[in-house]
Amino acid sequence: MTDLAELFILVLKATALGFGGLGSLPILRQDVIATGIASDEQLVQALAIGRLGSGPNALYLVSFGYLVMGIAGAAVALVASCIPPLVMVPAVAAMRRRVLSTWVAGLARGATLAASGLLLAIGVQILGADPAAVLRLPPWQIALAALGVVLTYDGRLHPAVLIAGGAAAGVALGG
Amino acid sequence: MGRERRVRLLELARAWVAVGTQSIGGGTSTLLLIRRILVERRGWISRREYAELIAFSQLSLGIHLVALAALIGNHLAGLRGVAVSVAGMMLPAAAITVALTMAFASVADHAVVRAALAGVTPVTAGMTAGLGLVSARGAMRRGGRGIVDLGVTAVALALLLAAPVSPVAVIVGAGAIGAAALGREKRPPDPEGG
Repeated sequence: MTDLAELFILVLKATALGFGGLGSLPILRQDVIATGIASDEQLVQALAIGRLGSGPNALYLVSFGYLVMGIAGAAVALVASCIPPLVMVPAVAAMRRRVLSTWVAGLARGATLAASGLLLAIGVQILGADPAAVLRLPPWQIALAALGVVLTYDGRLHPAVLIAGGAAAGVALGG
Repeated sequence: MGRERRVRLLELARAWVAVGTQSIGGGTSTLLLIRRILVERRGWISRREYAELIAFSQLSLGIHLVALAALIGNHLAGLRGVAVSVAGMMLPAAAITVALTMAFASVADHAVVRAALAGVTPVTAGMTAGLGLVSARGAMRRGGRGIVDLGVTAVALALLLAAPVSPVAVIVGAGAIGAAALGREKRPPDPEGG
């Protein structure tokens, strides 16, 4: 990472174009991995830590900012990630009825559905460069990933319990 | 939404700090906590107003929960309310996240931690995919239109896996398709994810 301004712009861009908590992830990942600014391992660590704490899922951006540029990086990522949604306040004040119009709802739905598909793809890509590489993983790692999908979708288990279980399995089976 | 109501900023800050520090697990639990504290316990906004503000926030760029905090803050105390609400929810939660990251970074090179990451990585991959499913579930319409919505998600998934396509292009393209063809439903997307 070259400087805080670059981090600010990357997080601002990813947050502005992504919809929802992890909607920024596909865009951020492409920007930072392709350019070598950060590794997939750092992103995975940030995602896991973001799920351990409280508040919105998007706080993984703060953890990511810390991992690449320390406290200043965390602060910059926090500020950048909070700016795009603030646009909604004057938009609602200025044109409340139009904001809830059919085409705006459709735009948000289309973008959210696409971001959801991209998150699914990233789940696969975190495991391996392509689906064939995923199938070559040890069965216990594939089982952990499947468990992560099912229990997150179900939503009743605290994410920290899931991450702790994964860590314990890693120590027992992968160490 | 009704007219702006004046709520003491200190009380507002306390409420949002409680939301930011006590909502564990992401979007859904945060939404539930906001409703419990601001709607049911404090009575600052009605259920109808809350539902309407959620609908607005779901159409926002970026983090929907930040948009919701800002909209509620504006509704209750104007621009100061926006600042207090967003800062109250995000700053303590971000501090907790930084503390956790610092703790991790201090032991990241330990052999046991490296071994643990071999298990945490697939779990995190699964959680990311799971949140994608939760997000799609919240945005999908009911009935036959839901199949079209599912198709949009499937195409986005296939494009990123099979081709060197830009995520920005996929999201912008799907947004354009959505504006033209996916908006026909009175009810806005369900408040999930975030």
